[in-house]
Amino acid sequence: MKDFLIMLPMTVVYLSFKSVLAPAIPFPDITLLITIFIAYERPSVRGVALSFALGYIEDVFNGGIIGTSSFALVGIFTAVHMLSRRIHFSTASIEALSAAGLGLVKGFLVWFVLRLSDLNVPVIPQMLLGAFVTGLFAPVILSFFMWFSGHRVPGMAKGGER
Amino acid sequence: MFSFIKRHQIILASAVLGLISLHLASTTRKGTGGEVIVRAVLSATAAPFQKALLAAEGKVAGVWSGYVYFVGLKKENAELGKTVQSLVEENLRLREEASLNARLKELLRFKDDFPPRTLAARIIGMSDFGLSGGWTRTIVLDAGSGDGVGVDMPVVSHRGVVGRIIAVTSRTSTALLITDPRSAVDVIDQRTRIKGLAEGNGEELVLKYIRRLDDVAVGDGLVTTGLSPVFPRGLSVGTVTKVENGEDNFFKHIEVGPASDIKKLEEVLVITDGNTAGADKTEGGQPTVPDGRVRKGKPQTRGKERP
Repeated sequence: MKDFLIMLPMTVVYLSFKSVLAPAIPFPDITLLITIFIAYERPSVRGVALSFALGYIEDVFNGGIIGTSSFALVGIFTAVHMLSRRIHFSTASIEALSAAGLGLVKGFLVWFVLRLSDLNVPVIPQMLLGAFVTGLFAPVILSFFMWFSGHRVPGMAKGGER
Repeated sequence: MFSFIKRHQIILASAVLGLISLHLASTTRKGTGGEVIVRAVLSATAAPFQKALLAAEGKVAGVWSGYVYFVGLKKENAELGKTVQSLVEENLRLREEASLNARLKELLRFKDDFPPRTLAARIIGMSDFGLSGGWTRTIVLDAGSGDGVGVDMPVVSHRGVVGRIIAVTSRTSTALLITDPRSAVDVIDQRTRIKGLAEGNGEELVLKYIRRLDDVAVGDGLVTTGLSPVFPRGLSVGTVTKVENGEDNFFKHIEVGPASDIKKLEEVLVITDGNTAGADKTEGGQPTVPDGRVRKGKPQTRGKERP
């Protein structure tokens, strides 16, 4: 519940900020990073619901097709949760690469749902830029989440936490 | 059974929510479904923040180009620096106002030539235009149902069609741009009068259903036909930028550059006439009366009724 109360308003404020400045600057994908953080650090049914809610808010905020981002974020939550037993975000470079890779996965999942909805959309090269920026800022933002949640800084060394 | 569910509850919850997401995506394609309450709450929360950000952005830009430029001046030049700074800021403010004035003049000139009732609105938010990998192309306007804006009303600029309203709250509205993949506009080639459908693909428009033997060339202007109940007739939609033979051996593949560059727009007009399609004049042959309202910004002007 605490996650909902913190993350949802944070997302709304961030998306407002992004919507005003967006055309000029590529921003890191905050909903994706929150999902990665929750899926890795606190996997639970509430976490899945949070990622769904984040996607829903993102879709409503962007005026997009409701369900596309929700589907992508829930899918990413599941993937991160399942992979978290094998992959540990122990260094900043792993966090950055994973976030960038998952940024691309999110783009393709959204594209997949749009294609299912009979929308003939192309794969756009800006996806790469978005994923790159998200990866670039991921270590800092994830560390912030850790700090904010009362965990140790830096890193998301799961092994050391549990 | 219960132990299985308990052990795999996260995966099961993900599967259920994933399926719900797919269901939502397939049933609310237009984005005007059951998200009304969420949209209203988000709008009420975000709109003031967006407006404040927009104002702050302008001030920061002024400070950046005015103040930062003078950082490093010696102490003895402080007074002079302050004077120059205030002059620069004044100059920036005046230039900004002159720019706003010019834009509003263009909009008003467009309104004078454009009979339907319109309402000027300011853009307070935009989707990310693909920078985060999204395909959605929408803008948020600072006019809502309280100002007379309704769903499916056309949004235009002095250059042509911008999009149409897809969601409205009391104070804000969301417009779907013509470059969004969900958008399709009936158009006609101004040169050859050939009709087609201009669909968005995220970046620009694609003109569909033009046969290979039809005469459409690069540089042709496309305008709305007025056949759809949304857009009035004769509004500029874009210009043909590329013509190729399609892969299906029947239709051409035609790309169209939109008439309005939304990234450069700050104000738009919403056509609030209920039924504007093809209606240039009222029953008595007299032109309709434009509302003339220009919201926000300076200077506030109120148009006058046409004779």
